Amino acid sequence: MSELNETIHQPVRLRIMATLVTLDKNSELDFTYLRDLLGVTDGNLGAHLRKLEEAEYIKVNKSFVDRKPRTYVSATELGKKAFAGHVNALKEILKNDQGM
Amino acid sequence: MNISPDEAERALSDIQAIMKKNRRIISSSGTYQFLILWGVIWLFGFLSSQFIHSQIVGYIWMGLDILGGIFSAIIGVRIGRRVRNTYFLSGKRIGAFWGLLTLFCAAAILVVWPIDARQLAMVIILFVMMGWISMSLLLSLASIKFGLAIIVLALVGFFILSGVFFLWMAVLGGGGMIAYGLYIRYRW
Repeated sequence: MSELNETIHQPVRLRIMATLVTLDKNSELDFTYLRDLLGVTDGNLGAHLRKLEEAEYIKVNKSFVDRKPRTYVSATELGKKAFAGHVNALKEILKNDQGM
Repeated sequence: MNISPDEAERALSDIQAIMKKNRRIISSSGTYQFLILWGVIWLFGFLSSQFIHSQIVGYIWMGLDILGGIFSAIIGVRIGRRVRNTYFLSGKRIGAFWGLLTLFCAAAILVVWPIDARQLAMVIILFVMMGWISMSLLLSLASIKFGLAIIVLALVGFFILSGVFFLWMAVLGGGGMIAYGLYIRYRW
């Protein structure tokens, strides 16, 4: 049986992970695009990304594009597994509720 | 950690919504912007080929193509910033592909020269659509049907409706690209 993941369950982090797992292998998402997609502030997104990075669920890659600093984010294999486990746990809760 | 079934349902619904939104933005943004841009260029270009004196038309096409190239580059850069892919085709390789295809097209035109304006347009359309289908095979299979439809329409216009070929391409080619771009933007 899958277990809920407290780190991922927070609404913004849940949406961050849901966005990152849709990417193809070896793809990474721009910080500003992710911020606009989720409708959060720079500081808010940065704080949630740090939490996910500490848990090793995401990888943050800072680099320069056209001499301007840019931050790219991608999900790690551990993060993808944790997210899939969390989604399964949510589905099990619903299934158990419908079976009652 | 315990949550209620309602909360679980809301979380799953949030996940589905954001995944769908992200996929739609990433997969459709480039396609619809390029389609509308080049649809407008074809519409004005072919209408001028049909109705304006042939010496001026060359300059009109040149201006439209330069504008198209500049705006395509801007769109490409904007899309490339959102998602960076370290494994698959990079933006530079896609740019190189189109650059080489343009050179091949120019070489093919030089080999068969002299040709009339209708033949010249048809050769360019075939090369552009060959590029479109090649890109679709690598990036988005859903777009192949559109490329094939344009080629068929162009060939029908070239061989059967030669008197109104440019008008045909303006309305069905250019107009079709704009309509398909708008369809992707609002219906996908």
